[in-house]
Amino acid sequence: MAAPISIAHAHVHSLRVASGAEALVARVLAADGTAGFGFTLNLEAGVARDMAAWDALGRSKGVAFHSLLGGSYRKEIKCMKDELPAIPPDWTALRKDILDGRHELLRIDPFAWGSVEMVQTIAAVAGAFDLGIALLAPNAHAWEIQYCAALAATLKGEDTRIISRKDFPQKEMKVSTTPGIGIDWSLEPSFSKIQWQS
Amino acid sequence: MAKLGIASIRLTRVSIPLTMVHAGSMYVIQKAERTVVKLTLEDGIVGLGDTWGTPEVFGLAKQFAKDWLGKDALDRIALRNATLGKSNYDNKYGRNGRAALAGLDLAAWDATARSLNMSLAELVGGRKRESIDVVSSLPAAFLSRAVSREELTAHLDVLANTRLVVDFAQEQVRKFGFRNFKLKSAAYSPEWDWKLLNELKEAMPKARIRFDPNANYGPATATALCKRLDPLGLEFFEDPTGELEGIARLKAAVKTPVATNMWVVKDEQLAPAIRRQAVDVVLGDLFMWGGIDAVRRMAKTVHAFGLKPALHSVYETGISTVANLHLASALPEFEYPNDTSLHFMSVDVLTEPQAVVDGKMQLPAGIGLGVTLDRTKLERVALESTEIRS
Repeated sequence: MAAPISIAHAHVHSLRVASGAEALVARVLAADGTAGFGFTLNLEAGVARDMAAWDALGRSKGVAFHSLLGGSYRKEIKCMKDELPAIPPDWTALRKDILDGRHELLRIDPFAWGSVEMVQTIAAVAGAFDLGIALLAPNAHAWEIQYCAALAATLKGEDTRIISRKDFPQKEMKVSTTPGIGIDWSLEPSFSKIQWQS
Repeated sequence: MAKLGIASIRLTRVSIPLTMVHAGSMYVIQKAERTVVKLTLEDGIVGLGDTWGTPEVFGLAKQFAKDWLGKDALDRIALRNATLGKSNYDNKYGRNGRAALAGLDLAAWDATARSLNMSLAELVGGRKRESIDVVSSLPAAFLSRAVSREELTAHLDVLANTRLVVDFAQEQVRKFGFRNFKLKSAAYSPEWDWKLLNELKEAMPKARIRFDPNANYGPATATALCKRLDPLGLEFFEDPTGELEGIARLKAAVKTPVATNMWVVKDEQLAPAIRRQAVDVVLGDLFMWGGIDAVRRMAKTVHAFGLKPALHSVYETGISTVANLHLASALPEFEYPNDTSLHFMSVDVLTEPQAVVDGKMQLPAGIGLGVTLDRTKLERVALESTEIRS
């Protein structure tokens, strides 16, 4: 499900983050004038636009992202270092692997799978097959971790966690209750310098 | 918006006469009992729900409602977990508990959608369709009054009586334009069912017909009957037998799709059904699954594995009928027409009439469910009522 919001304008901008990596940042303007933002460091703009639309909807309604999806399964998310490979975005292979019992924990990179809808579907399947979900912040960037936390709040399952290839500064992360997707955009100073098209 | 606090919940158990006699393998009835839920938020916004109307479900809804006062309708997941526990093992109330929760859950979704100025369909996933094809149920036998099981079987022994059901079906076509039917079976006489289904197809060759004996045929009888019925090209066999193993063996023996709303009704039954390739269609019933979130997860799961979800219902008020229209609009996984029985309810509890026209129902305009409760109509059919407030 794409965010159920009427979009007046969408714009994607390239951005150099503090680490030197390139990010794509999307801004969606809802029909009521509310702006929402999304990003990705994997240079696939679709996920950034999808995130921005959900952010705009949450801000427009004054509620956190998880409230738009039915509520929150948890108030805090476990954060763990994990170096095992994430599952490639290939439904055919994932279905087969699940039926063959190859997974206990589905390591999912939400930026690779591409949308909130896709993550929700994987989570529904994981719940039915009693599998855990680990959401990978592929570059361990703070924005990625915050997005994974927003998604994780909406996922059923005791094993739900955020993973990255590096150690986390904290073992748990609180679920944001601020309106929208809950990302602190000020963490990257270059964000405020973007010249958005009107 | 920090919180949508729940201020009060009014529960009304109603009995609504049907305009026909429902005859199937589980019961012969001439009325439907429901529990209507009116949930009011602290800011006065109202959400509507309804669910089964048995005294047990009404009692559980009352019990659960007391714990919901002051809590946040925005967080339906927290409300569910606080009510039934995190797993179905924790749910000590069984399917009555899921049904009681579902009525309250629907009212909380409606109130939330209204508070956010969205339709229920938008809140569930997006308003993608305005018009939904619906299915009319057909009784196993056409009767003028509710009869005993003995009288029913005597009626079914006269095979010429099948004609009465065909006439009844054609009347539904004339009145409402139905193109989709569900034949309930008494699961008494395979000969009756075979003859009746052949006559229905002959009289309405383009109609899509599903056949539902509610698992009351044994596996051998059901398989033999369904193999004979295969050439008719029915839409699907709904619970031709039980349990999951029986239905899986039957599915392997026939070409017509096989559906269930009896053997896959909770999360932990999905994986065994998918692994066993037991069914083609999983019929989601809001009240058996325990609310919108559970039905949505079911739909996504079965669709991901190439099965088809569909929406099941039986003798519900306009509230649940409209809720199912919103679900069908929001979730593209639901491709089959929705069950509906509203056209057989002699009265409804809504202000806005919900009609079947040309075999379809329209999604109401407006926020939330898009409908309002008619207090006078409700009181006319009320059996008992209680209001829970702090």
